[in-house]
Amino acid sequence: MDITLFVQQFLNGLSIGSIYAIFALGYTLIFSILGIINFAHGALFTLGAYFTYALMGEAFGLNGLLANAALPVKLPFALALILGSALAGLVGVAVERIAFRPLRRKRADSLLTVVSSLGVALVIVNLIQYLVGAENYTFPGNTYGNLPAAINFGTAEKPIPIRTVQVVIFGVSVVILTILTYFINRTKYGKAMKAVAEDPITASLLGINTDGFIVLTFFISSFLAGLAGTLVASSVSIPGPYFGIAFGLKGLAVIVLGGLGSIPGAVLGGVVIGLIEAFVPADYSAYKDAFAFGILFIMLLVRPQGLLGRRFVQKV
Amino acid sequence: MIDENLTTSNPILEAKSLNRTFGGLVAVNNVSFTVNKNEIFGLIGPNGAGKTTLFNMITGLIEPSSGQMFYQGEEISFLRPHLIAKAGIARTFQNIRLFGDLSALENVTIARHIHTKSGFIRGILGLPPAPSEEIRNKQKALELLDLVGLSDRAFEKARNFPYGDQRRLEIARALALEPQVLLLDEPAAGMNPSEKNQLSEFIRELRSQFNLTVILIEHHVPLVMGLCDRIAVLNFGKLIALGDPAQVRTNPAVIEAYLGSD
Repeated sequence: MDITLFVQQFLNGLSIGSIYAIFALGYTLIFSILGIINFAHGALFTLGAYFTYALMGEAFGLNGLLANAALPVKLPFALALILGSALAGLVGVAVERIAFRPLRRKRADSLLTVVSSLGVALVIVNLIQYLVGAENYTFPGNTYGNLPAAINFGTAEKPIPIRTVQVVIFGVSVVILTILTYFINRTKYGKAMKAVAEDPITASLLGINTDGFIVLTFFISSFLAGLAGTLVASSVSIPGPYFGIAFGLKGLAVIVLGGLGSIPGAVLGGVVIGLIEAFVPADYSAYKDAFAFGILFIMLLVRPQGLLGRRFVQKV
Repeated sequence: MIDENLTTSNPILEAKSLNRTFGGLVAVNNVSFTVNKNEIFGLIGPNGAGKTTLFNMITGLIEPSSGQMFYQGEEISFLRPHLIAKAGIARTFQNIRLFGDLSALENVTIARHIHTKSGFIRGILGLPPAPSEEIRNKQKALELLDLVGLSDRAFEKARNFPYGDQRRLEIARALALEPQVLLLDEPAAGMNPSEKNQLSEFIRELRSQFNLTVILIEHHVPLVMGLCDRIAVLNFGKLIALGDPAQVRTNPAVIEAYLGSD
């Protein structure tokens, strides 16, 4: 492979991988605190994209209850991204209240909670379809303002153009990862969150409001989902309400590869899968997902705890 | 059978007709008692007598099926665990529950969470005064580790500590909450005779140094008899005796249910 092409694919893979990483981190945060995969995560990813799209003042199409409706505001993309993701975060908090907390109170089997989160995911997806239809929505051309469409990472003679969107995605992901790492490892709230993840009963007896931290975790997790959804949608488009489902499955591959419940694992898993996909030859690019899940399959056979996972701990 | 003279002097914790059933099983059956401030109060009884269930009710981990629990005159029967901890009731566990992957120091500082005053935003951003508070909390935690004799191993992972040291670490962590009432669930379990003697002395010291009320569950009868001001005896969920060690020792129901069979 030609070196410039290699570098180009590597950088693209890094960008895709970074978005997988922040998306998968959302799964990981909830898994490490409740021991449950939140199957509504993909739906929140989708919601984030729609929220941001709406906050930018873009109109919805012909179908659905909100046909031709548009918000009276036209927020710049950066602001809409943050608010749209925060709205996804709030929906995540509602999901916890509706689909998780009642079952937790009754000490239900975690499989039931998984099914209940899957149910919420389908409700969200159907609601989106009911409200705004199933058509494709594209972010406005000036989403990234006056930035050029691509940035050259090579020289004038040997250009290595990378789409600006990919660079922005990578930059935002790195910033978010840095903030999150700092929050979890350095702040009082992050430390308390870790205590809740390790042993919620003991944490509560040490004066830590476990339910409060579970809510906070759902907010952060769903914020990350919404952010990832918006960034991916701004790079391609919102192909419809089922947008997040396939991405959600990819996220599962990422966390299993990286190690369930491991934060560095989610990041590493995301980057690895992003890079693998980037180097799938163009002729086979339709089979990218098969490559990702093939790797996952091998991983499960060779090292079931994932790249950075600890040995399996039974969580109740 | 219940000594009325001692129960009213200066109550800090009061159980009124507490009941708890699990399915068909009655774990705690109409139990009433009062613990006075600064008292060392023992809770004994055969396995399955309902002692730990009682601890779980006092700390809010389970709710009573009926009856009430009062702490400093306020009802806490249905208060959530973190609020009870905040109000000043701390505990240790029969099967130690430390954060194994965290260091001894981190285990203790986590319990300082409620005493960190910095606001939410400041806490998140790590802005002042959060760092200075963090230093103060760390100092406080180190003092407590020193008190239990573990300050030289503050940075070792909790899971690497021998059993007895883990028990001491759990006590240090509970004290970091600055509690009024300390519940110890079988603090002497797994300790050798000389350690058990030291433990009695240590619990007395804690009481005077921190002005504590101590309630302990313990199977080792000589330790309870020598240490506690008063003892409550549970059998099959029922309170069968309550009084000072001499009274309890000679109580026929107790001899029948517990001491006689020991």
